[in-house]
Amino acid sequence: MRSSQYKAWGLLTPTLCILFFIGLVPFLYVVYLSLFKYNIFSVQGMVFTGVDNFRKLMFDSDFMHSLRIGVTFVVITCVVEMFLGLAIALFLTNEFVGKGVFRTVLALPLAVAPITIGSIWVLMTNPDVGPLPYLLDKIGVNYNIGVNARQAFFTIVIMDIWHWTPFVTLTLLAGITGFPREPFEAARVDGASRLQTLRYLTLPLLTPVILTMLFIRIMDTFRIFDEVWMLTSGGPGTATRCVSIHVVRLILTSTDYGYGSGMSVFLLYLTIVMCWLLLNIISVVRRETRER
Amino acid sequence: MGRKIVVLLVAVALLCMAIPAYAATAEWWQKAAALYKGVTIRGVSESTPPSKAVRDYAARSFEKLTGIKVEFEVTSWDEMYTKSISDISRGTGIYDFIYVEQDIIYAYLVKDWLTDMTEIMESKPQLTDPDLDIDDFTTFIDYFKDADGHVFGIPFEAFLKSYVYRKDLFEDSEIRAAFKAEYGWDLRPPKDWDEYTQIAKFFTAWGKKKDIDLYGHVAQAKTHPCVAYEMVESIWPAWGIYNWGINLEKWRATVENGGTLNSKRAKEAFRWYIDMLKYAPPGVRTYTWDETAAVVGAGKIAQGLIYLENLPWIEMDTSKSVVTGKIGVALPPTYPGIMSEAARGLGYIGYYDGGAFSIPISSRKKEAAWLFIQWATRKEWSPKFAELAGRVCRKSTFASPEIKALNPKLAGYYDILREKGFLFAGAAPLPMHRPLNEIYLKWVSKTVAGEVDPDVAVDSLAKEVDKLLVELGY
Repeated sequence: MRSSQYKAWGLLTPTLCILFFIGLVPFLYVVYLSLFKYNIFSVQGMVFTGVDNFRKLMFDSDFMHSLRIGVTFVVITCVVEMFLGLAIALFLTNEFVGKGVFRTVLALPLAVAPITIGSIWVLMTNPDVGPLPYLLDKIGVNYNIGVNARQAFFTIVIMDIWHWTPFVTLTLLAGITGFPREPFEAARVDGASRLQTLRYLTLPLLTPVILTMLFIRIMDTFRIFDEVWMLTSGGPGTATRCVSIHVVRLILTSTDYGYGSGMSVFLLYLTIVMCWLLLNIISVVRRETRER
Repeated sequence: MGRKIVVLLVAVALLCMAIPAYAATAEWWQKAAALYKGVTIRGVSESTPPSKAVRDYAARSFEKLTGIKVEFEVTSWDEMYTKSISDISRGTGIYDFIYVEQDIIYAYLVKDWLTDMTEIMESKPQLTDPDLDIDDFTTFIDYFKDADGHVFGIPFEAFLKSYVYRKDLFEDSEIRAAFKAEYGWDLRPPKDWDEYTQIAKFFTAWGKKKDIDLYGHVAQAKTHPCVAYEMVESIWPAWGIYNWGINLEKWRATVENGGTLNSKRAKEAFRWYIDMLKYAPPGVRTYTWDETAAVVGAGKIAQGLIYLENLPWIEMDTSKSVVTGKIGVALPPTYPGIMSEAARGLGYIGYYDGGAFSIPISSRKKEAAWLFIQWATRKEWSPKFAELAGRVCRKSTFASPEIKALNPKLAGYYDILREKGFLFAGAAPLPMHRPLNEIYLKWVSKTVAGEVDPDVAVDSLAKEVDKLLVELGY
């Protein structure tokens, strides 16, 4: 081995060691635990059950319910955030009075910690003192997220959109401002309308950024926890019990370490599959964009 | 002039007599803690008035006196358990003293997670306060003993969850007349649930009629462990469903297997609980135990069941409460026959809540922690803590002048605690109570949200409890 290779390995070793201990070891431990029936308050201790936890998972209606809520949440928030983010980003390419202020205000939710976002929404939606129920009541809407499951679900959706659309907007805006000028000038000379420019130039050029953004948002929304935990704790009933909340309740409250580990491993598998699919799509699109 | 000098001399003499007595005590603590000076001990507890009092007063004075640094984390209830359980089960030894609520003690004892304090007292007498006096603790300490009578926790808070009502409203002549006209009996604290319901209906309607923010009922109905606790600790026992509806001999909850969880009366009680939410404020489904007390302090509630550790601030702290001096305390209403059943020791009418400080088996500074626990629970400070946090764990505290003076300000609560405390009980001896609570929470909160019918929920709950108990090896 050449000295430069030794040097490279030497430099990598500390990082690899850290990754091994904080990434690989816990993961392997979770995989190991997932093969056992293990509740810390069980009189039986750890009982090896092989893949029984994974079999149980497939027939667990509570887990499936949480998964369904999680997936619905991901689909709605990601679609809305993408459309809204793109619309605002395109709007921000125009010059108008107060643009700087608008951009600053838009980015404000990004500076706030998720748990604080949850607290803010707790106060805004509180049926006794919150401004939202009060204002909605003025127009005849009885808004109470402690009672109405649908309202609670759409409130967490709106909260996530409010929190993360600025992130999508700013990223897409960065992508747009990085476009080459020539094709747009040529399109203008050829008499292309704004809509045609958007459809045949902006969107194709922006597709890799949109897909990357979508990839990040899907991962983020699928594992959402803090805001929802703070606002509804998964309620009313189980209306907003997303998968992360379900896993936390199972492991930390029910102390069912074996089954909870099985669930975590399965969710990791699901995430990896989704990532793999999206990454493949992104690479294909990038290749096609380059070829064009 | 001569008389003044005599008085002054007498005062100085008395002071001189007092100083050595105090100095000897302080000296004892300093001597006992000498070996651990500079050591830092860490503790974790729930964010309750007693814990905050310990953090703000006991810990600071202990540090000053002994040189042992105390880092006392006061956090949310579930976070506290998560941290304690993770620390002890992994043996990391982060915490040297922890709050052990009465209901979790059985689980900790079964797992051998706590240090035997009786053993410390015997093996290390030099570290045991000569004035500790275990016999001075109320019977509440019995919950923290094992079968051999060994102590595993020193109580620092004990209080009831009981009935409170707005005295000013109950004594208002206009209200009394209107109530009598409607229900035909004089307004007073209810004896049974029918009376409670009538009062709840009346005050909620009264609030609407007068266009004031007033409701006849309150509950801790958020999707949170508190909603399950409210059912198993307060509502069901007062309807005669004890021990979470579980038969402790057969370890089963369904009626078919010997339990009472899905019995006719348990269903009746649960239906009542759900139905009563309409008489509570609109935000009741977002309330935990904290909001329940807060809304009483805000003057919006005419009657309800609350944890009485909140009573001192509701009755006396004008910066937090708008109903200071206006709250009355009484025993909770019960199902017919339950009160006499409890009086005969065959049941209980509500929850005797509280907790103790224990030393995790994983702690590496047990001796320093033991000293601090004794300091935080010592006799001479108990009245002060009772004043700050409304809890009494020592018999001698009841007789102290401070508590005697405080009792009328708290509507005679300490008399109820002393004389009627035996009607209440701590949690059932369920070592698996954490995972059990999660199942109760699931079904109770589903019903509160209207996802399932109360009867169906109770049947499903009982079946799931049986299933869990089998899975856990019971």
